[in-house]
Amino acid sequence: MSTDQLTRTASRGTGPRASVDRVRGYLGRVDRRFLPVLGTVLTLLLMLGVGQSRYSTDRASFLSMKLLSNLLVDNSYLLVLAVGMTFVILQGGIDLSVGAVVALVGLATAKLFTAGLPLPVVLAVGVLIGTSCGLLIGVMVQVFDIQPFIASLAVMFLARGLANVVSTNSLAIDDPGFSALAAWSLKFGEGRGLWRINASMLIAFAVLLVAVYLLHYTRFGRTVYGLGAGDRGAAVTLMGLQPARTRVWVYVISGTCAGIAGILFALYTKSGFNLTGIGMELDAIAAVVIGGTLLSGGVGFVLGTGAGVLVYGLIQVLIAREGLDSWWTRVFIGAVLLAFVMLQRVVSVRRR
Amino acid sequence: MTTSTTHGPGGRAGTIWREVTQHGLLWPSVALVALLLACGAKSPGFLDVTLRDDHLYGQLVDLLRNSATPLLLALGMCLVIATGGIDLSVGAVMAMSLAVSLTYLDGAADPSSPVTVATALALGLGLGAVAGAFNGFMVAALGIQPFIATMILMVAGRGVAMLITEGQITTVTSPPFKSLGSGFVLGVPTPVVIAVAVFVLVTLAVRRTALGMFLESIGINREASRLAGVKARSTTWTVYVIAGLLAGLAGIVYGAPTMAADANNIGLLRELDAIMVVVLGGTRLDGGRFHLGGLVVGALLLSALERAVIIFELPSQTTPLFKAVVLIAVCVAASPYLRGRLRTPRPGARGAQRPVEVAA
Repeated sequence: MSTDQLTRTASRGTGPRASVDRVRGYLGRVDRRFLPVLGTVLTLLLMLGVGQSRYSTDRASFLSMKLLSNLLVDNSYLLVLAVGMTFVILQGGIDLSVGAVVALVGLATAKLFTAGLPLPVVLAVGVLIGTSCGLLIGVMVQVFDIQPFIASLAVMFLARGLANVVSTNSLAIDDPGFSALAAWSLKFGEGRGLWRINASMLIAFAVLLVAVYLLHYTRFGRTVYGLGAGDRGAAVTLMGLQPARTRVWVYVISGTCAGIAGILFALYTKSGFNLTGIGMELDAIAAVVIGGTLLSGGVGFVLGTGAGVLVYGLIQVLIAREGLDSWWTRVFIGAVLLAFVMLQRVVSVRRR
Repeated sequence: MTTSTTHGPGGRAGTIWREVTQHGLLWPSVALVALLLACGAKSPGFLDVTLRDDHLYGQLVDLLRNSATPLLLALGMCLVIATGGIDLSVGAVMAMSLAVSLTYLDGAADPSSPVTVATALALGLGLGAVAGAFNGFMVAALGIQPFIATMILMVAGRGVAMLITEGQITTVTSPPFKSLGSGFVLGVPTPVVIAVAVFVLVTLAVRRTALGMFLESIGINREASRLAGVKARSTTWTVYVIAGLLAGLAGIVYGAPTMAADANNIGLLRELDAIMVVVLGGTRLDGGRFHLGGLVVGALLLSALERAVIIFELPSQTTPLFKAVVLIAVCVAASPYLRGRLRTPRPGARGAQRPVEVAA
């Protein structure tokens, strides 16, 4: 540190070296924890810039509220999943079950509507299914000391199997109340510039805000970050916080988020299908990593995850606008993931 | 594969009893035998093996054949897990290898000539090794967490496989290539022969040389083993290449009977099956000690489970449910919490014997 400062003062002169050092000085002043998130935001801006320069026409600009609104409508379920996943990853765990839970909740919702239950009950049961899946993982991880990877893998198989038991066909949801909820939206603007705010966007935003509050302004949030530090909860215990309870809670939160996401996905597709959500857990993990959260836990921001989801959605938009085949999406997401992992690596090396 | 521990006085029978009850493979083996017997009871012909046209036939032979792919994947996975890593990309690597092999055969003048088939095989395996080398580079050279490093290829690999097949499901006819998956060698199905050969090779390589010990030492403490003179970096790299190679082989063996490179579905979620096999085989995911023998039990248990669902006339889509039940049951049974619970009431338990040994 001191040598760093010495070189900085020594080389304060003219020439290119000095300007490079000055930039480094500015970067050094930024809290290093923000660097990955900064990368996410820069990527987002870069992609928006590329989109703006390539796809804007005289009649419609690429950058518009409409783009943002479409992005959020298409990815609200992913945002909720990724927010839940952020908790688990910050704590140092992983949850592979969320994709299967989304499928299970969607099918259960459809089945319950056919059974004639009222809307609030169905929604509550849907979310509670997710919660109980999360609780199961949490208990396995905390009480039976099973690694999160395996525990959530087991619950993933469980949820997928249960979904297959409920139905192997796509079940349409034609409940009038549910359809009204899916169709409801606030409209802004006129003609081509028309954009909307719908129910799933609002729910996703609410989840995001609650997550920000929980992680950054409560004792629970501090425990989550503390557990992610990687000393098996020693520091957290010394601080008088409760590691055991928190470790169960993060999985409950992730499961609940998966339940909510399942309902959002059902709102989006107006049906339930047992094959939805295969690989969705990886989309969520990818969004979290792109959003600047370190997979080893302890470092990251839930708002970064929000930006990560936007980057994720924007990749799909750009690929579609470019007219490339859909499998390019996977290759590109892989490449972006690679870039971010490299960035995180650089950042964590510099911190040492 | 037994864990050698010091035993206090307590009689030979007691020693054996403890040895058995504390062995990691107890519960998976019990589950496997119970499952096979249940299937035998349900469908009387299940346990019969017949010799027809010098080929072995029967449900058990099919079961062995189906175990070949998970065993191949799990062998590579187990070595990776021993170093404290994980390889999520094996499913995508299966798809890529099969895609490149079949695409080459499709474009070849004579898909049935041995040279062409050998080249296709080499291409597939080569691609698998390259994919493994990429993973190894990320993990060993750049120091990226294995989970995320291999997830990159898991996400992108399937896209690459689609690029190779240009989004089509490539189908070709080539009897020699097909026989890799559905043929027989001396009456035994080829995949079984391949899997057994690879298993023996890997076991010899890790247990008859110091490689296995290096892997465990890296998995337990990378830095300490590096200081002790183990080439941690190159060993880790090698392990990922082996895993990629075996995944490529598994893809070819798995896809050869149908000869269709369906880039979207070949090997889908197979990485999770492979990890499940490793865990069922008594290897913990945090690295260090690993049990290759357990993989055979794990792979057999997995295919027996899939077969049992059919025998019991349950809808085949419910298979994941039973996988979950077995996985949870085996993990909970093997968990330290439950073991502690089971052990404390008994007076002859290990913890209580320590002072006796010191006194003697």
